[in-house]
Amino acid sequence: MRHFFMLFTAMLLTGSGMYAQQKQDPWTADQLYEPQVLADKINQHQTDNIVILCVGPDALIKGSVDIGPTQEQGNIDKLKNYLKNVPKDKEVIIYCGCCPFVRCPNIRPAFKLLKDMGFKNPRLLDLPKNIKMDWLDKNYPTSD
Amino acid sequence: MKKIFFLVALIILTGSVHAQNKAVQIGQAAPEIALPQPDGNIVTLSSLKGKLVLIDFWATWCAPCREEQPELKAIYEKHIDKVKAGKFEILGVSLDKNKTHWQQSIERFNIDWLQVSDLMFWKSPVAKDYAIEGLPFNVIADKQGKIIAVNLHGEALADFINNYLNKTE
Repeated sequence: MRHFFMLFTAMLLTGSGMYAQQKQDPWTADQLYEPQVLADKINQHQTDNIVILCVGPDALIKGSVDIGPTQEQGNIDKLKNYLKNVPKDKEVIIYCGCCPFVRCPNIRPAFKLLKDMGFKNPRLLDLPKNIKMDWLDKNYPTSD
Repeated sequence: MKKIFFLVALIILTGSVHAQNKAVQIGQAAPEIALPQPDGNIVTLSSLKGKLVLIDFWATWCAPCREEQPELKAIYEKHIDKVKAGKFEILGVSLDKNKTHWQQSIERFNIDWLQVSDLMFWKSPVAKDYAIEGLPFNVIADKQGKIIAVNLHGEALADFINNYLNKTE
């Protein structure tokens, strides 16, 4: 009985079901970008060296470029076209925020494209739940 | 030792459920909703008083929400007599941004219940009013507009509506 609870607790704590999914993700843990850090940079007008791209339904983050949901090939083309003029060593931060990472259809194709195009500092904004919980509810800067 | 593990497991399991529904609780009045249909006409939740109302928060960009639409369709058709008698309605509230996507999905899923949206994605005030932490999410309001169920899905949702409508025959 005790073993059962230990196993059960361990499974809950490690989220073993998620592990397989995360292993296939194109980003690494250190390529996740902390929302608080980005919010501070935007508020202090220190965004000259970064590019912030929305690859989801709506570019809610102040100063971000609206590419559109990159689950659609048309928007992947748009992203590719936009990135042509961006230096490869520039820090490029993408975000969607529709859904938890595990269910988001947009961030994987976009991040993969960044890597395929040879960008040295591709970043994914760390919005693990969604943009409401992890950005709007914290009163971080928005586009209006 | 056993007790500790049990307690830990219990805390983890219940913790996430409690977090979801801070502002929307059974017994409270459902916050007012006043949003446009695709044709621009405003529908209010308060105008549906007297009916059992399933408020379905969804979006076309949410895969599990799309998967749930045929289930809602089945519930709606099963109780179509109650709908016609003014005793039941579904109010779909979309957090879409793109009107075309929204309208195409309404057609694709053959949705004939009420559909409203301000096309503001997660910025919609309704997401705040209902303290929505993720989609799909739903609330059932009784004929007085009081919340009687929160976030039921699958069989639990269908059973709840069946039981309620049969009980109030």
